[in-house]
Amino acid sequence: MSFTTIIDAIFASPKAVFGSAIALRAVLLVYGLLQDAYSPVKYTDIDYFVFTDAARFVYQGRSPYLRDTYRYTPLLAWILIPTAWDGWFSFGKVLFALADLLAGYLMVVILSTTYRMPQARALKFASIWLLNPMVATISTRGSSEGLLGVVVTALLYAILQRNVVLAGLLLGFGVHFKIYPFIYTLPFLLWLRSPDGTRRKAKGGSKASLKDQLLRFLNRDCTTLAIFSFVSFMSCNVLMFYIYGFPFLKHSFLHHLTRIDHRHNFSPYNTLLHLNASPAKSTSFHLESLAFVPQILLSAVAIPFALTANDLASTMLAQTFAFVTFNKVCTSQYFLWYINFLPFYLPSSSLLKQTRLGVVAGILWILGQAIWLQQGFQLEFMGQSTFVPGLWMATLVFFFINIWILGIMIRDIGTQSNAQSSPDKKER
Amino acid sequence: MRSRITYLQHDVSQFNPSQIRVRKDSIELSKLDAAKEHRMTFAFSELPRELWLALKQCHELHVRWVSMTPVQGVGPYVSRMSPGLHVFFSPLSEGTADRLCPLIKKVFGDGMDCVSPQESFISPPILSERFSASSSLQYYHVTPSLKDLVAYLKEKICPRSDEKCIRDAASLLDAKYLDMDYDAISHSLTVTAFWDRACPNSPWTETHLRRESSETIEIGVLNAEKASEPEEQSLGGFLAVLGQDDEPKPTLFSFPSRHHALPSSPIKYRAHFSQPTGLHPTLHLTFSSPPVPPSPITSPDAEPMSHSCALHAYLTLPSQIFLDRYQLSDPLFLSSRNLRSLRSLSGETDLEAPDWVVSRWGSAALIELASPADSRLDHGENKHRQNEWTASIPLHLRYLSPRNVSAASNGGRGSVGEWLAGWKNGANANNTVTTPFPWPPVFWACAADSGDKFAVNPFDRTNLGYDGLFGRQTVFYHIEPEALDGGSFMGLVNIPVMDTEWARWVELGTVWAIALGTVWVCWVIGKVVFQNRNRKQMKGDKKHR
Repeated sequence: MSFTTIIDAIFASPKAVFGSAIALRAVLLVYGLLQDAYSPVKYTDIDYFVFTDAARFVYQGRSPYLRDTYRYTPLLAWILIPTAWDGWFSFGKVLFALADLLAGYLMVVILSTTYRMPQARALKFASIWLLNPMVATISTRGSSEGLLGVVVTALLYAILQRNVVLAGLLLGFGVHFKIYPFIYTLPFLLWLRSPDGTRRKAKGGSKASLKDQLLRFLNRDCTTLAIFSFVSFMSCNVLMFYIYGFPFLKHSFLHHLTRIDHRHNFSPYNTLLHLNASPAKSTSFHLESLAFVPQILLSAVAIPFALTANDLASTMLAQTFAFVTFNKVCTSQYFLWYINFLPFYLPSSSLLKQTRLGVVAGILWILGQAIWLQQGFQLEFMGQSTFVPGLWMATLVFFFINIWILGIMIRDIGTQSNAQSSPDKKER
Repeated sequence: MRSRITYLQHDVSQFNPSQIRVRKDSIELSKLDAAKEHRMTFAFSELPRELWLALKQCHELHVRWVSMTPVQGVGPYVSRMSPGLHVFFSPLSEGTADRLCPLIKKVFGDGMDCVSPQESFISPPILSERFSASSSLQYYHVTPSLKDLVAYLKEKICPRSDEKCIRDAASLLDAKYLDMDYDAISHSLTVTAFWDRACPNSPWTETHLRRESSETIEIGVLNAEKASEPEEQSLGGFLAVLGQDDEPKPTLFSFPSRHHALPSSPIKYRAHFSQPTGLHPTLHLTFSSPPVPPSPITSPDAEPMSHSCALHAYLTLPSQIFLDRYQLSDPLFLSSRNLRSLRSLSGETDLEAPDWVVSRWGSAALIELASPADSRLDHGENKHRQNEWTASIPLHLRYLSPRNVSAASNGGRGSVGEWLAGWKNGANANNTVTTPFPWPPVFWACAADSGDKFAVNPFDRTNLGYDGLFGRQTVFYHIEPEALDGGSFMGLVNIPVMDTEWARWVELGTVWAIALGTVWVCWVIGKVVFQNRNRKQMKGDKKHR
């Protein structure tokens, strides 16, 4: 049996793929336990200690915000209450790993229903997530991004199934949990405009009155989505505010408005923020306060308008990619936000069709981070002042690499015809 | 005014009583090879107006200034602190202490970042329930010398013609430490200065004069004797009170003492950073041999008091440097660095704040160190004994505000002397800023039988920062530091900073990059939309036909 046939055999069987995905996470969990028990260098993510400390406070009937640097919804600490029980410390990691697997399962379902892919092919592309060592490591180290992955994938699943109530509830919760999923609102509304999810053939649409257009836009599904997402978002907020008061608002939302984010990260704004947040700033004008303009314009407005009609999931990928690229803060955890959309985009992307382009894009994306990491290492551990020009240039180089990849994505998605309505074109 | 001047002789065998000559209103001392403590107590009425106006706002005020050169501990003078200026302060229950910071700055130097007790001081925790004699607020500044105080005394306090006053003030430049104590109950200010030897290296030859009948001057020429009880110290020698005694009176007395040198032990410790320090310096405390708990003074063969003693380091961290309390909570991590626990941490402990948003001076930490005695590998102890023993404390740096560092002419500063030479501008050519780091005192804290007795000690020294974190019934056995870096007990950390020379470029470059990226993505989107529309139109046209 050749190597490729073995690979094919694995992807032909859901048991083999999910079995490997479970095994990968189980091995990492156990390895993590061992490393934590015997090494002073911990496998467990620092954030996990923040969550579990906060969960312990909640368990004691106190506020999770008593833990420094806890900047999440108290719901996360609630979910992790079992970690405060004796011997249940790893509960959260198991939960995050299960959330990963569930997200992977939903990907398989979406790929084989909406995209009408054969099972083996669906499993192969879902493995970008399921068997991705980066994804498995992040969740087993105890980062909550995995939980968000399942919420966002379930959100996509619900909307594709036209389960608008569930989608609304998940969207509201997602925004409450991490704010950024609000960028998916517009593509959802656009997508829901017609019964089958495609743009209605606008016969004489250009002549229709503005009122008609607006009414069509605000069809029943759109209203349902708006109402349920608002209800779910606000009821989470009101409940949390009722219980935890101002610290909840301060740490979950206001913190993101006032944070300085001076510590070096991948964002192209980082050096400017470091400079202008400090007393050394030369102008009283805060350029960086306009940073949200290109970010929101592209990720929440322009990309959905241009691409939603072609493919919803890929549009969400491009949106998230643009959001992260133009964000004022960016660490490698943020990359996880868009990895869960890759299985929907890659099958029809030029990155896979033109192998050389795909390889170059992959290498450049990693190289951009490597340059930055090298400069960061010089600063963090060698004490060299690499803020300017080294780190600054590295963030800009990485930014342009991301912009280039974003351009490829937009072109790919824009030129592909609607995936949901005519899947046969994509599948040979 | 009352004065008490104590000479503690280094070598009593060289002493001859004729070196002390008592006259009616004066005493003459010649060639005394001794440490010297000069303690002056002022009544409120004897103080200048600006001083008592500030003191009236205090419930308690304790100022401790310690020289960068390590003190050679002798007799009762063995307590240690980090070098620099420490202020411990308790406010009155009502009213504000708005005069304190201006006074401190006026007296000890203008460069201090003291705004007000509320804004600049930190609140150490009260760890011992039964007692706290410690003050409620704490301030620190790396003040390398007392030259500002000396200038203040010469210009503002000493009468212009009083040469002795000016000379006494100048002698403070050589002092190893200076204590000032005030409390609202006694309504008096006590100032204590200590020299571990006459400087420059010649013995003391001095005349003390009583100029007013209201003045009390008491002189002691003493030497350490062997104490009969553990936790006690004995001193013998001669005492004389000016105006009362015609000749020095021999004396021998014992008293319980809070602070001791580590009995019969040559062990020393050396503080240093692993290089390069980066943004996460590690402070190493290396002991010349593994530290063993002190044995009772009287019987060195007795069991070490390990059951009731623990080794500690007390860190005074300027705001640029901080400790992560969560990092120091994992037992495995702690033991891998020969630490046992973070006993106390107070002040600026925010893990995310850059230095420019931190308003208070920094933080103070008490860390319990592990010693070979508590490791279970007893069988290896003999092997341990020959080796050095190192405890490592992980620290982190805050980002400093960007500044124009290219303009600074000098390169990185390697030694404290070089740092002192240019410490006002602080910047180096290689885009780093050099920050002094006071090395911590290291000591064994042991449980004593009873605590109240220590107040009897005429040389008792309290309010040192760490003593308030222990119960009243605690004895401290201090380990002597090795002099480092040209005899200085101060470390240096080079902190990388952003050079503002680049500020214009960063602003323009970032804006252009973002604009370029945005425009390009918009163009791609526009092209896609345009193509789609065309395609649809073509399709539509086909259908119409």
